[in-house]
Amino acid sequence: MIEFRGVTKIYPKGITALANVSLKINKGEFVFLVGPSGAGKSTFVRLLLREERPTQGQIVVDGVDVGRLRPAEVPFYRRKIGMVFQDFRLLPERTVAENVAFALRVVEAPRREILRRVPQVLHLVGLGHKSRAKPAELSGGEQQRVALARALVNNPPILLADEPTGNLDPDTSWEIMKLLIEINRRGTTVVVATHARDIVDRLRRRVIALENGRVVRDEEKGGYTREA
Amino acid sequence: MRLSTWEFYLRETGRSLMRNRLMSLASISTVALSLLILGLFLLGAVNLNHIASTLENQVEVTAYLDDKLSPAANKELTEQVRKLPGVREATFVSKEEALERLKEQFGERRDLLAAVEKNNPLRNAVEVRTLTPQDVKPVVEELKKLPGVAKVSFKEEIIERLFALTRAIRYVGLGIAVLLIGGTVFLISNTIRLTVFARRREIGIMKLVGATDWFIRWPFLLEGICLGLIGSLPAVILVGRFYRWLAANVYSTLPFIPLLSPAQVLGRLSLLLVGLGILVGGLGSAISVRRFLRV
Repeated sequence: MIEFRGVTKIYPKGITALANVSLKINKGEFVFLVGPSGAGKSTFVRLLLREERPTQGQIVVDGVDVGRLRPAEVPFYRRKIGMVFQDFRLLPERTVAENVAFALRVVEAPRREILRRVPQVLHLVGLGHKSRAKPAELSGGEQQRVALARALVNNPPILLADEPTGNLDPDTSWEIMKLLIEINRRGTTVVVATHARDIVDRLRRRVIALENGRVVRDEEKGGYTREA
Repeated sequence: MRLSTWEFYLRETGRSLMRNRLMSLASISTVALSLLILGLFLLGAVNLNHIASTLENQVEVTAYLDDKLSPAANKELTEQVRKLPGVREATFVSKEEALERLKEQFGERRDLLAAVEKNNPLRNAVEVRTLTPQDVKPVVEELKKLPGVAKVSFKEEIIERLFALTRAIRYVGLGIAVLLIGGTVFLISNTIRLTVFARRREIGIMKLVGATDWFIRWPFLLEGICLGLIGSLPAVILVGRFYRWLAANVYSTLPFIPLLSPAQVLGRLSLLLVGLGILVGGLGSAISVRRFLRV
């Protein structure tokens, strides 16, 4: 589903964010991306979203060479990836339902589909009853669920979450994680960049660890740190 | 594009206009003011042009005759004039006829002429049309040499001056219009820049969920177009009212001035102003979208 082939990213100021990274994530996998700040997680995400292009190497997603996409093709490529951030990135003056519907409107989905999909996906994240609330009226966990619903409403094959629990307390974090697992169970490939040590340790999924722009560990059923 | 997408755009545009009420109002006012001034200049220019060409088609040279000439002499003189080289037509106009004509031109206000009726101050004249405008000057020279011709007047100078004035008004008007429109475009692009800034978060999310560049651009362009369109409406209404008022007054008090009728002018002028408003609005937002909307 996602393949990095010798990917190097050097920013204009000469900082090497990723150095010769090769990895493969299969369809339907659930992967944790861990590592200290500045290890290259953000760059990994930006490259996947095609906000940046690799300096060297190839990124292939769902059979598409991401680096060689023409600018006009990028929006259509991005529709394959549902994205969730630490800071939720909701539109404060719109209701929950409007926030989710926004992702469908933007891709010019027919009205019938918007009316069908939005309640469905809100129900999936457990917010069916709050569709008319504004983000400010919700707790952090609920806001992240809205963001998740928005990421999923287009049925993307890949869900990419960048520190999805970074702003949440442990209990809420755990609930969001369970939701991500549930989404993965339904067939979506899920990649989670995270610092949440206890969650990674508890779930025992595939862990890819980055350090100084290199993959230092890639372990099935791994923990947050290498076991002694 | 889907109908629901346009609906979405329109709602977004309305939202954005409301959010930037003050800036929007300022832009709309400038559009209105610019187009108003432009409209007035255009009205002035087309009317002067019309007056000048009306005069051009009228008598070009008039030879006023000595009052003491006998009717027979008048007739003979007219014959003489008719034979001059370059003359196409020469008509004798008695002073009585001239007075009648003047009355007609004054229309309802002919009472103003009552005072001169008894002692007609006008002169007998021969009105001359030349073959070409170039013949006017030689014919004038010849006429002056004829005995019995007291004075020769030709309207070429007036017409020339009118055309010159028309040209001047056109250039000055064009200059002012370009400046005003430039300012308007600038103001609209500034308004749109603020909108882009206010919505950068939204734009970021749109990009993230896979909106195409044009999907992101359209609402901003629409907003500019709306500003231009809304601004053009007061300009159209005010210009129209003013011109109807002016025409009504001129027709009743100065009926000899050949003003174009409002029906002749206002339709096309309104379309032009609305079109320009839309163009200016679209252009202003296009500039901002290009410069500030990195999609």
